Amino acid sequence: MPDNNGNPIAIHELALAYGNHRVLDGLSLTVPASSITALLGGNGAGKSTTLSALLGFVRADAGQIAVCGIDPGTDADAARRRIAYLPENVALYEHLSAVENADYLLALADQRQDRGTITAALAAAGLQNRAWDQRLGGFSKGMRQKVAIAVALLREVPVLLLDEPTSGLDPRATADFNALLLKVRDRGTAVLMVTHDLLSAADVADRIAFLEQGRIVEDVTATGSERFDIRALHARFQVGVGTRAA
Amino acid sequence: MTLWMHELRLLLRARLSVVALILMAILTAAAVTAGMVEISRQRTAIAAIPAAQSEDIAAVADYVDRTKDAGSAGYYSFHPTWDAPSPLAFAALGMRDVSPYILRVRALGLEAQIYDGDIFNPELALPGRFDFAFVLVFLAPLFVVALFHDLTSGEREAGRLRMLDALPRGGAKLLRRRMLLRIALLWAALAVPFLVAAVASGVGGAAIFAVLAVILAYLLFWTALAALVARLRWSSVANAATLAACWLVLVLVLPTLAHVAINRAVPIGQGAEIALAQREMVNRAWDIPRETTMRRFYAGHPEWADSAPLGSAFHYKWYFAFHQLGDESVATKVRAYRSGLERRDAAARMLGWVLPSVGVQALLTRLADTDVRAQLAYQDRVRAFHARLRNFYYGYLFRDRPFGRVDFGRAPIFAARMNTAGGSNEAADRP
Repeated sequence: MPDNNGNPIAIHELALAYGNHRVLDGLSLTVPASSITALLGGNGAGKSTTLSALLGFVRADAGQIAVCGIDPGTDADAARRRIAYLPENVALYEHLSAVENADYLLALADQRQDRGTITAALAAAGLQNRAWDQRLGGFSKGMRQKVAIAVALLREVPVLLLDEPTSGLDPRATADFNALLLKVRDRGTAVLMVTHDLLSAADVADRIAFLEQGRIVEDVTATGSERFDIRALHARFQVGVGTRAA
Repeated sequence: MTLWMHELRLLLRARLSVVALILMAILTAAAVTAGMVEISRQRTAIAAIPAAQSEDIAAVADYVDRTKDAGSAGYYSFHPTWDAPSPLAFAALGMRDVSPYILRVRALGLEAQIYDGDIFNPELALPGRFDFAFVLVFLAPLFVVALFHDLTSGEREAGRLRMLDALPRGGAKLLRRRMLLRIALLWAALAVPFLVAAVASGVGGAAIFAVLAVILAYLLFWTALAALVARLRWSSVANAATLAACWLVLVLVLPTLAHVAINRAVPIGQGAEIALAQREMVNRAWDIPRETTMRRFYAGHPEWADSAPLGSAFHYKWYFAFHQLGDESVATKVRAYRSGLERRDAAARMLGWVLPSVGVQALLTRLADTDVRAQLAYQDRVRAFHARLRNFYYGYLFRDRPFGRVDFGRAPIFAARMNTAGGSNEAADRP
């Protein structure tokens, strides 16, 4: 079993290639409990592949990866029981209501809850009660995300993986989402979000890691009331994206 | 709520799926109803035989009783034979819609009587009847395509697949569950109307079980094909187009090509050619000296050779003798024709191992006793009955015994077959 030193997410010298194309090249990253780590990088930097490896969708060629001490490459089911995952576009079932969607997803996760618990979680996620029994057909991305976050809250898993969670959200919805994320973190969850949205990441993350060509090239931790030097981060981000583009 | 109930709710909320399942059930119900109506019509026709026969015989008996001539009795009397449908016949009408199931025969030459009715109605022979077998073989795969083509691709296109895959009981397990649920519902849409009709028709338990298993096996084949196509990770539209093309090839094109190939590999003439050859032989007999005909007949049938010699007047025993010689002259052709039919049937059955659509059709018509084999078995029963009929009349003709009204009551009666296909139908066999 991989050594995770108590960190819900522990990745060490991970290497992975699709054919001749090396996507992850010695990636090392840990995400402790009760923390939010934002993984930033340009297209093709390896962000989504990192999430895929954590979810057990792809197997690493070398290195170690662990979710709560479990290698998702060898026991994906056990790892997934400890993970809540929100894809970039949270697409739920439009012909089910918010409560029914949550009920169904929880059943799939083998963590059934009663209606009262589900509606309490939807409320905690900021979904107005008149929307609880409405079908999702007319829901905005932000509202769908709230349903998905409510499911994550109800599952009480130690790890939350987010793929571009704020893309397409308006500033108000982004602020709401970030507030929600902090709630999740404060319940002890290790949150790993991959994103292009530097400002949102700086707003909510405890740590920002820059991923380039499959490895972490810089790792910045929030300090003081200002948390991050946005200008410096922005400059760093531009360089990373530019390097990749070149 | 169990996961299965969740899946059921999800499926029933999708309008297209619900419409497809309801339509499948309606089509199945319509098909079994149409089959039952047709079989009921055939049973009614068979049930009407005794009354019609009594009327016919009464009319002949009035005349015969005056002349006491067994030849006239044999010449003018038609004797009914019938092929009673098995209880399961409603599900697969097979050959019953294109070949005669009632044949009234005289003691004269048989082959012309059998093959007179051999020309199929081409309008019916080509597409077949709208029966349960048609719905299962031709239509059910299209509903499998409708319900399964986007099982994975639909989730991928909606953006849910990755999230579902990330759940402990999502991914492949989820898709397997959905497949099983759809198979079960499709199976129910086909099986429930069939089951109701089968119970109402008195089909035996083993036959019902066999048909239910055939339905399941055929659905499993098509869902396996859909799963195979899904593995290619194409779009839903591409999946649907590919599966529709498979349907076209497996259900229509290949069976048709194979049918043509079998017919070319096993060439057989028309039954009508046998009837024509027998008639020509019979007609030619009028130009042959009667003694020559009788000599030939007695050589083959020495049991009648001690019959009194022909006089100068017309005698029916000569007439019946050349009719029988006419039959015997085409015996080789009859054997070849039958053997050809059997070889074609065997080839089609072999094909059924490769082409499920052909296999299912063959299996259902075999279970329902409506296939070529059943048709030939009916012919065998007609031949056996006709032989008894000939012997009966010959006993009067060749011994110059008078034939009166009471003798009609001694004539052989077509025996009901001991048919166990699709359950007991002894009652149905009794007109």
